[in-house]
Amino acid sequence: MKKIISSAVTALLLPAVANAEWTKSYVIEWNEPAMYFGGVDGSITNPGKDCPKGVNPELDWIKVLTNAGYSEEEAKWIRNPANPTRSPVHGQNQVAFRGKDRANVYVHPESYPDPGLYPMEGQVAEGLNLDGDDSTGLTSPAGKKGIDNVFYETLGCWKSYRGPERLSSGALQFNDAMRNGAWTTVVVVHGRGKDPLNDNNVEVGFYLSDDDMVKGGNGEIAPDYTFVVKPDAKYEAIFKAKTENGVIKTKKPSEQVMLRDPGYTRDLELLDAQLELVMNEDGTLRGYVGGYRPWMKVYQGWVDARGPVIEALTWVELPAVYYALKRTADYKPKGAKGPNTHISYALRIDAIPAYVMSPDAHNQVAKIKSYKALVDEPPQVARATRFRVIDGLVPLPDKSLKYGPDVDVFASRKTN
Amino acid sequence: MSRHLEKKGFSRRSVLRGGLRGMLGGTAVSLGLPILDILLDENGKAFADGAALPTRFGSYFWGLGLTDTPAGGTRWVPEKTGFGYDIKPELESIAHLKDKVSVFSGYRAITDGKANLVHWSGHASILSGAAPGANGRFDAPSFDTKIADAIGGSSRYKMINVDASTSRQPVSYSTRSGTTFASPEVTPLGLYMRLFGDGFQDPNSDNWQPDPSIMLRQSVLSAVKDQRHALMKSVGKEDQIRLDQYFTSLRELENQLEVQLQRPEKCEACVIPDAPKETPPSASIEVVNANTKVMARLLAMGLACNQSRVFNFVHTAGTSETYIGGQSKIYHQITHDEPTDATLGYQPITSQLAGMVMQGFGDFLTEFENIKEGDGTLLDNCLIMGFSDTGYAKIHSIDNIPMFFAGSAGGRHKAGQHVHTTGESVTRVSLTAMQIMGAPVGEFGQGTMKTANPVSEVMA
Repeated sequence: MKKIISSAVTALLLPAVANAEWTKSYVIEWNEPAMYFGGVDGSITNPGKDCPKGVNPELDWIKVLTNAGYSEEEAKWIRNPANPTRSPVHGQNQVAFRGKDRANVYVHPESYPDPGLYPMEGQVAEGLNLDGDDSTGLTSPAGKKGIDNVFYETLGCWKSYRGPERLSSGALQFNDAMRNGAWTTVVVVHGRGKDPLNDNNVEVGFYLSDDDMVKGGNGEIAPDYTFVVKPDAKYEAIFKAKTENGVIKTKKPSEQVMLRDPGYTRDLELLDAQLELVMNEDGTLRGYVGGYRPWMKVYQGWVDARGPVIEALTWVELPAVYYALKRTADYKPKGAKGPNTHISYALRIDAIPAYVMSPDAHNQVAKIKSYKALVDEPPQVARATRFRVIDGLVPLPDKSLKYGPDVDVFASRKTN
Repeated sequence: MSRHLEKKGFSRRSVLRGGLRGMLGGTAVSLGLPILDILLDENGKAFADGAALPTRFGSYFWGLGLTDTPAGGTRWVPEKTGFGYDIKPELESIAHLKDKVSVFSGYRAITDGKANLVHWSGHASILSGAAPGANGRFDAPSFDTKIADAIGGSSRYKMINVDASTSRQPVSYSTRSGTTFASPEVTPLGLYMRLFGDGFQDPNSDNWQPDPSIMLRQSVLSAVKDQRHALMKSVGKEDQIRLDQYFTSLRELENQLEVQLQRPEKCEACVIPDAPKETPPSASIEVVNANTKVMARLLAMGLACNQSRVFNFVHTAGTSETYIGGQSKIYHQITHDEPTDATLGYQPITSQLAGMVMQGFGDFLTEFENIKEGDGTLLDNCLIMGFSDTGYAKIHSIDNIPMFFAGSAGGRHKAGQHVHTTGESVTRVSLTAMQIMGAPVGEFGQGTMKTANPVSEVMA
């Protein structure tokens, strides 16, 4: 249960640098894709206004494989837990080779017919009005028109994303990792006016910190701890904004920002990025950061998370995700030609008061600026993974066990 | 009792030494006996000659945790703390022993910014006290080795490692170096042969003689002692480190041989079991649990026969390969892909499997409970620490990792309690185990998990 602090006490406790100018600082204790849950009983799988058919159902792998040309006997052996080519950790690599001419469907999704995803059919969505047009998009739970969140419309009935707030499997998995130290993101808000609640000259900075969040006795992240900014060449976002009645809104979209993604893609790259964050009386900060993210990187993130594992655990065929994102992408950079390359998206964040210090830890961060110039090391081109993933697959340690487009599926049975 | 036995022609000495003796097909055979009142002091707490009944330590590991979800559906954490705790569904298998089992809930592994290496960081933290930096290795020795150093030297094997999981690779989490893990026995027959095959010396035999082959091997080792020292002086520092590691293992072998050259203490609970039959290689839960039961029986008797005082037992690996026979989905997959039932608040099939896995633990403890020793049971003279790699397996959580102490460790463990915290380090429980077992350890763990604060509530 969240700690509730009275507003009067909050005024005294909030980490702030006093002056005419004002600064508030926070640490993000939870963030997840803004996927409005329209279920009626909390069930992820049952139908709701968002997903009238529920989530995409569990795959019938025998059917999937036989449709792809495997015999039923081959399919059953591929799926048998005793098959030595089926790793209990990394899944069964052979399932990748179900495209045309046994192509790897993760790398060549278009070699495989679109299996389809259950569409999100509701009219309510969380997020931001990215294009400023009230006539496009959906309606927020509070009734605001023009919410642009095609990412949600496309993937909202995928089991990974569907669920009540803080309870979808993806949100739980990545936030648990974040809260246990995988990464920390701090937020600093600085204004030049006298009234933090109504200030036309505000900046907001998102930075990484190497300091872990601390859990209190109730298991929740404790407020008012200190975090030192860790300059990062990649993960930093700065917004020009204003406040209206305690709500921080972007004045002009930031051309491009990068946040740490609570998902397999890891990089949350947003074009035309905007935000809308509420400074609550209890000292917390809650709202959305949104923009247009490159959909192909989203797809690739899922592939790199090991295609067979993702398909088995999340009940979708990855080519369906590829086709759906490609089909619904609603944005491309200005001047770019060809099909849309980006999809509208919003991240919901919950942040609590924290003290944020400059990288040298000498001073509390009072103003917003970029720290990228302090980074000695060039940004990582590719992230290190715990597994060696090639084309969505983890090679088997026993090289005598074969899988692939030309393999005799039953050869592994002979070695068992 | 003793006068009755003597009237029948048994002396305490003869029973102590050999149990029952006879001829079978022209060959002399002996059958050990349980510890009888005749052999003990008036309180049944020690042998009549004053020697205390030995206390043993074991770890029992299973993969994929137990069910305690953010939606509020705990299936294992008792509501009541202290003695007389309530039994939740996934702990039904230990209900009959709950007065001998302490439950620890709410403890967590703290990675200090290192990644949560799924199905690895949790038990690595419990065992080594350090969040590991990489999969497949620990950043410090596992603490069972410290207990083995403290109490394991007087038995034939300083430590026995057993893996009942029938995984594709043998599974052991016991390590001195952090990089090399012990080689476990992976079949019941292999365990039997290790404990009761070649080299086994019946502790109750009247005709005990030092094994000439052991004498020879020891003399060989002793013979190269001077050359070892000379070699150490003649090589560089890196090679000295390598040689030191090698000779350390040799020294342990020497110690083991030395034990075997001494007349073993009587172990009247020791009854040499029959060799088990080979079992089919399968990771199905039915086979794994059957393996667990058979191997527990062998292991328990091995302890009763003083072949070792320390063991590590793996039921299923962190990345468990087990499944319900005939089904195509493995338990590991189900923990991740099964949706939480909104009404129940938990994953029903996952919880069912967790209960089946815990049946293995219940059966394991029962085998120890079935061996009478002194005025109690073998379990009473053990501390068996059960634990897993994760809390809520669906998300690889390392919060609220289930941990248990079974057995009263000869009275040193105030068993039968539920101790609950909200987020304290798992290393507190590990340190408690070490201190109960008499390992000379004042603190344990690294970084935030470093602690000098055992769980005193359970320490007598």
